[in-house]
Amino acid sequence: MSSREPRSNLHTRRAFLRTSALGAATGWTIPLFLERTFGMLDATAADAAVQTLTGRDAPILVVLQLAGGNDGLNTLIPFADDAYHKARPGLALAADKVLKLDDRHGLHPNLSALKELHDAGHLAIVQGVGYPNPNRSHFRSTEIWQTASDAQRNESTGWLGRYFDNCCAGADPAVGVSIGGEVPQAFASPTPTGISFARPEQYRWRTTETAQGRMSPSEFYYRQLNRPEEEEAGADISEGGSIGMIGGAGAAHATGLGPLEYLQRTALDAQVSSDKVLEIARKFPARTEYPRGRLADGLNLVARMIAGGLPTRVYYVSQGGYDTHANQQGAHERLMSELGGSLAAFFKDLKLQGNFERVLLMTFSEFGRRVAQNASGGTDHGTAAPLFIVGGGTKPGFYGAPPSLTKLDNGDLIHTTDFRNVYATVLEKWLTAPSEKVLGRKFPTLAFV
Amino acid sequence: MLEPLPPSRWSPEAAAHLLNRAGFGGSPDDIAALHARGFEAAISALVDVPAPESPEPVPDWAKPGETFALRRELRAMDEEKRRMRLMEKRKEDQKHLIAIRGEWLERMRSGPDPLREKMTLFWHGHFAVSAEKVRSPYLLWQQNCTLRAHGLGQFGALTKTVARDPAMLIYLDTVQSRPGRPNENFARELMELFTLGEGHYSEADIRESARAFVGYRIDPATESFRLVRMQQDSGTKSFLGKTGLLDGDGVIDRILEQPECARFIARKIWVFLAGENPSEPLVEALATDFRRSGYSIRPLLRRILQSAEFYAPANIRSQIKSPAQWMVQTARSLEMPLPPALFAANAMRQMGQLLFAPPSVKGWDGGRAWISTSTLLIRYNLANALLRGDVSGLVPDGRPALRRAARARLRGPVLDLIAPPALRPDPARLVDALAWRLFQSAPDERERRAFLDYLKARPAPPADDTLVGLAHLMMSTPQFQLC
Repeated sequence: MSSREPRSNLHTRRAFLRTSALGAATGWTIPLFLERTFGMLDATAADAAVQTLTGRDAPILVVLQLAGGNDGLNTLIPFADDAYHKARPGLALAADKVLKLDDRHGLHPNLSALKELHDAGHLAIVQGVGYPNPNRSHFRSTEIWQTASDAQRNESTGWLGRYFDNCCAGADPAVGVSIGGEVPQAFASPTPTGISFARPEQYRWRTTETAQGRMSPSEFYYRQLNRPEEEEAGADISEGGSIGMIGGAGAAHATGLGPLEYLQRTALDAQVSSDKVLEIARKFPARTEYPRGRLADGLNLVARMIAGGLPTRVYYVSQGGYDTHANQQGAHERLMSELGGSLAAFFKDLKLQGNFERVLLMTFSEFGRRVAQNASGGTDHGTAAPLFIVGGGTKPGFYGAPPSLTKLDNGDLIHTTDFRNVYATVLEKWLTAPSEKVLGRKFPTLAFV
Repeated sequence: MLEPLPPSRWSPEAAAHLLNRAGFGGSPDDIAALHARGFEAAISALVDVPAPESPEPVPDWAKPGETFALRRELRAMDEEKRRMRLMEKRKEDQKHLIAIRGEWLERMRSGPDPLREKMTLFWHGHFAVSAEKVRSPYLLWQQNCTLRAHGLGQFGALTKTVARDPAMLIYLDTVQSRPGRPNENFARELMELFTLGEGHYSEADIRESARAFVGYRIDPATESFRLVRMQQDSGTKSFLGKTGLLDGDGVIDRILEQPECARFIARKIWVFLAGENPSEPLVEALATDFRRSGYSIRPLLRRILQSAEFYAPANIRSQIKSPAQWMVQTARSLEMPLPPALFAANAMRQMGQLLFAPPSVKGWDGGRAWISTSTLLIRYNLANALLRGDVSGLVPDGRPALRRAARARLRGPVLDLIAPPALRPDPARLVDALAWRLFQSAPDERERRAFLDYLKARPAPPADDTLVGLAHLMMSTPQFQLC
């Protein structure tokens, strides 16, 4: 399939709609105003680098946020460095405990899943990731990572939101899926693309009215009211053409719609994508056992959506609890164990599905923690940290220079790799998107993909 | 340009539009009463509410200076106690934050001065500060009072007060500024977001003006503004084309001399109240008067609200309700109370506008950015929760305790009020009355037919459940998201 090439014209679009994988689930014809939307899209397609995809063959990015500031030094442990042991008399992990990757670095003992992925050649580690003039506030530093802005600038749109705007105009709203109650700021855009839900049953219209037959009157008329009037459209789109995959007109272009049309379009999108999410959730159970916990639940859901062919390019999940100011050891052990166990199940599931090669997972945290432990057996907010790139498409190994543990800035690591180099790499090499448009300027890419 | 609306065009629809935009809507009776006053008196009733004379009483939980005291207290504690105390403090803060959110929403719903609350909401998004960084509910409450007190006054005085506002001093790092090392965060946003907009100042202007705010600090004992004269940078500064001795207020005065400042603010207020993409001549006309008046906000609002352009068909029911507008207007038009504060806060968070927690210093983008497939479904499901106490779609299935609690605490509307028994035998009149209440306009033919068909599909005369179902159906439409 040529789904990764820029879409060219309306004809392709219609052909694509007709052949969409899950589209058959809904048999409605395409209303006229959506046709107009496509017309607008086509007018701008030449410079928009629009990508379409079918949900079955395109590469997928999973972004995993470790919220609270993960202690990088106790995740990827520089066990051979005396400075590490000196700075953390109570927290340092001994050389014989860690899962050694080479003669200097080892993984936290509870990350055996990542060790296995490493040994199989599916793990890349970028070291010393951060940004100039680091900010130690959770809120601000998270915002910097989510918006990919310079530390001294404030930006309100998210880096993934800008990716959707620039590269996925006209795509299904499910092009971005965030598991959780709220849409992450990384998805923020003047006309939001992307959906979010903690559980599929929450991502649907709910009525209290009980159904007598298959559908309650409320639901029947809700559906009537939330799809635009069917127009007598041309023969070539009524021949079984489905709106199953059309969804958003794309942010930049949707601004051409009036507020009511925009709402109508979104209402239709909501109905279609919610039907699809529910259908997949029903039809595609997990193929492997997942551990308990929110992260595992989230990744389980992502795996099922991938199995069902939801046309998603970016999934977003997060794990909280990393703000380990006090008595860090036990808490961090549990977090690592949850992370390792959830990732093990997720990638096993993907392999069983045959989708392992299509999925790239990237972790990030708003900052690492200070080199020295504090007086409470914990660590305070720091700066640079390593991040993991996992999946069948990775070129394994270490990237970025390991930060020095002796040449510090006020007790903090000095970053060696800008996080936007990582974003640029993922955008250019994995999602085949023009990173400069998304990130505002050119950041050199790394070789992990 | 900006001629007053001819009295012949003053209609119930126009009155509803005015009430929605200058405030948070109202019941059919509210709209009828406003219409009956006549155009000029209606404008005056909204614009000329006298300001409260005395400052707002400090909430009884607020203890200015307690942060400072707490810090000392903590120093004397051992590790375990300190952690416990901090957790306790965080819980208390959270409780107070929920309370001030709820109180503000209630003021929007039932307060005596809806336009002032509307503008307080505007300034809250304009001079954004977030609890995520500021933490202290007392300081957030205080900023809210400042925005309310100055929100209809002089823009210059408002901006100068905000520059000294402790929450802002924390949020944009002015308190981190040191002589020789000025923090530029506030100076940059002062020009980019608060007064001029991008492209109307240089990086050098930011560097120079940042020096003028060094020494703006918070007095720990009172948690109020303190100017540390020792730290002030009294050197000459070159700023926006002039060189001289400038302090913080001087910087703001110099900004106000720029015609672009009046345009920037007038345009933003027009968009907030009236409609998208105002023409340049219209902005220019508003801005010229705004500047001439010494940046007086109230006359600007009057000019906007009484202009024929404000009532142009393109501006009627063309604005996507903010979550605050949605929540408050729903309560007002259905003549029902707001949901409990914690429930309201959670719902607002899910809809994308948690008060006192704008996503960034840019505030909320608003407009189309309120609506994604997820937030639209949340709005629809929230309607069901408010009407029936059924929180399906808001909380995960399988949380029966949570559901029961919600059902017990959420009071739906009084059905005899929103669907008078006399109308119930006549589906058409019932639909039209409820549609006017919820949309302040007639539904289009297709929608009207769907509402009528729904009634037809249920046993007649409509039982309570059907009436609530009809209301939920009406609120589960694109139309209902507009005001």
